[in-house]
Amino acid sequence: MDIAVLRNRLTLGIQQGFIGYVASLGAVLVASVLIALIETRWHLANISMLYLTAVLATATWFGRGPAVLASVAAFLCFDWFFVEPRFTLTVADPEEWVALLLFLAAAVITGQLAAGQRRRAQEARQREREAVVLYDVVRTMAEPNLEEALRGVARRLRGELGVAAVAIEAGAGEGRRIREADGDPSALRLADAAPTISWRTLGPAAIPGPDHPGRGGRWVRVVPSRLPGLPRHELSDRLHLIPVEIQGRRVGTVYLVREAGGPDLRPQDNRLLLAVAAQLGHAIERDRLRGEATETEVLRRTDELKTALLNAVSHDLRTPLASIIASAGSLRQSDVTWTEQDRREFAEAIEQQAQRLNRIVGNLLDLSRIEAGNLRPAWDWYDLGALIDDVLGRLRPVTEGRDVVLDVPDDVPPIPLDYVEIDQVLSNLIENAAKYTPAGGEIRIAVHCTVEEVQISVADRGPGLPISALERVFDPFFRVNGTGRKADSTHPSGTGLGLAVARGLVAAHSGRIWAENRRDGGAIFTFALPLQEPVGPGTLAAEGVA
Amino acid sequence: MSHSTGARILVVDDEAAIRRAISTNLTGHGYQVDGSDSGQDAIRRLDAHPPDLILLDLGLPDVDGLEVIREIRGRTNIPIVVLSVRGAERDKVAALDLGADDYLTKPFGVDELLARVRVALRHVVGAAHGPTMVFRTGGLEVDVERRVVRVDGNEVHLSPTEYDLLKVFITHPNKVLTDAMLLQQVWGPGYGLEAHYLHVYVARLRKKLEADAQEPRYLRTEPGVGYRLLADEL
Repeated sequence: MDIAVLRNRLTLGIQQGFIGYVASLGAVLVASVLIALIETRWHLANISMLYLTAVLATATWFGRGPAVLASVAAFLCFDWFFVEPRFTLTVADPEEWVALLLFLAAAVITGQLAAGQRRRAQEARQREREAVVLYDVVRTMAEPNLEEALRGVARRLRGELGVAAVAIEAGAGEGRRIREADGDPSALRLADAAPTISWRTLGPAAIPGPDHPGRGGRWVRVVPSRLPGLPRHELSDRLHLIPVEIQGRRVGTVYLVREAGGPDLRPQDNRLLLAVAAQLGHAIERDRLRGEATETEVLRRTDELKTALLNAVSHDLRTPLASIIASAGSLRQSDVTWTEQDRREFAEAIEQQAQRLNRIVGNLLDLSRIEAGNLRPAWDWYDLGALIDDVLGRLRPVTEGRDVVLDVPDDVPPIPLDYVEIDQVLSNLIENAAKYTPAGGEIRIAVHCTVEEVQISVADRGPGLPISALERVFDPFFRVNGTGRKADSTHPSGTGLGLAVARGLVAAHSGRIWAENRRDGGAIFTFALPLQEPVGPGTLAAEGVA
Repeated sequence: MSHSTGARILVVDDEAAIRRAISTNLTGHGYQVDGSDSGQDAIRRLDAHPPDLILLDLGLPDVDGLEVIREIRGRTNIPIVVLSVRGAERDKVAALDLGADDYLTKPFGVDELLARVRVALRHVVGAAHGPTMVFRTGGLEVDVERRVVRVDGNEVHLSPTEYDLLKVFITHPNKVLTDAMLLQQVWGPGYGLEAHYLHVYVARLRKKLEADAQEPRYLRTEPGVGYRLLADEL
């Protein structure tokens, strides 16, 4: 320990005690003068009670030691000044002896009781402070963001203890490490230098019980084996480390840096720090467990996705592959003579099924880009009517046999969108509608403008959706089971990818997508795009065209 | 088919199966085909055996396909047709703006491949001839000298901008034109980002020229890339 600091603290302690003792003597002196003054006028039998008041006051303000001194001083003064023969310590009347000794006993006992009362009041105040600080710490640690919570606790502790800096580190050893600090940067550098300078660490303490307030723990000084070039007197006693443990496992550290030459930490501070450390331990552990739970959930969902993907692969990728392999194999047969017509049909089958595979793979790729959050739409202003025409033109083979009804107003303004992505959204919705609309049924595509957005809806004449599926129908690989939409031989099932991709692409446009049932049968899928260009990369010139 | 032009075509793709499929088809149609599996090798071959056309995959293992285009354009005007996958539209636009002549989205059909090759080879010849005085394809007739446009024999009135836009298209029939190219040729070199003008004018032009908006006979959208005027091949 630094000599200067030691001297300071010693002087401070002596000064505080000294004041108490001087005051106790002063109080006795004042009482003696008062008694002398009163005696000149009246003769009161129990005038010595005035000394008891002085002892009581000393005990209340300065505690046990000064109270004892006051008792003895009062006893002597009374004997000296007021008991016959005066100005000697001898006592003439033996009865007076008894009275004097009784007085001393009463003074000491009263003093002790008052001092005890004082101590209990102090303790109550400390406990209240502890309770308030702990409550604040618990409340701060309830904050879901651990970094912010630790910063809040550091700030609170610093204010409470009046130290130069507080840093809290979570996650000792393995895993992520977070360190949040509050206070004077130069003091914080001391905390960073923890392994290279000497510090004091708070040893464990007895747990406070109902009968005893608990001891404050003990500071143990740690001097690292190697002290790089620091002069001995520079060795800081300002740095204090409080280990944060839970079930004997170290989960973090609280660093305190005191002001240079400032007061040392008091025992009640130590107790407070231990309580805060215990609380921090619980909070840090809770955060770790929460993180683990999230990871487990992510893994579980990834697993679900994988299973669904495997199912999709086995059902939906194999079907086109089977017909491609069969057709190609047939063409290679040398022992059969195929007519020109047969050959063409085989070739067409290969081409069509390969196209189908290509669409499925495209959707899978889109989905993985969406899930990875890699979508960056290439915004530009486009004519929605032209886009719908393009898509319908390309999808004519798909919508063949259904009546496609277009309800697009002439005054739709240009919309900011990524052509390829919205083309994909619309294609997926129309393919989906075509899949569930029987031949001769109607597919209605309508565009509706509001002040803020444009809504594009695709309505089919299929069996509609069960209420429970309206939300989930956009989940990857989700397919409606039971009596609703179900794959059968005439309507081969999709992969459950198209709508998920549509949702992801619309979301990338800051739009929304939803499904409803038509009152007179069938489902409507609607997506809405904002008319205002979204803020973000690829900002456009905003003026319209006359 | 009787397109035995004997043109020499260099196919640059690191996938041997794709190179084989392309060369089998092109050879079958009378072209001479040369294969290369990397960008650097392709550039070396330019000097040794200069081809008449390059089919270039953008995803090469050694050099970025765009770099290869820049390198080739630094030396020659050999037409380049880029091969790329769906979803890489920005790369296609970049390739075209760097001077590639056309693109094919993988996977592509044989008919599409042959059509692109023919267009790219013809474009070299056409450029040498200069613009025709009267352009005709299907029912569309554009008399450049008299600034008269007819569809199926009926005269169509176009605004000056619409006419300028159409003129750019008929100067490059069957060639894909990116938004930036069209904007600069019609509105001037200061334009290039205001693609919404272009989309609106193309939509207007279509309304005046096309009978069926869903299956445009003349102006086709190349999603995410630009537009192409479909013209009869001579």
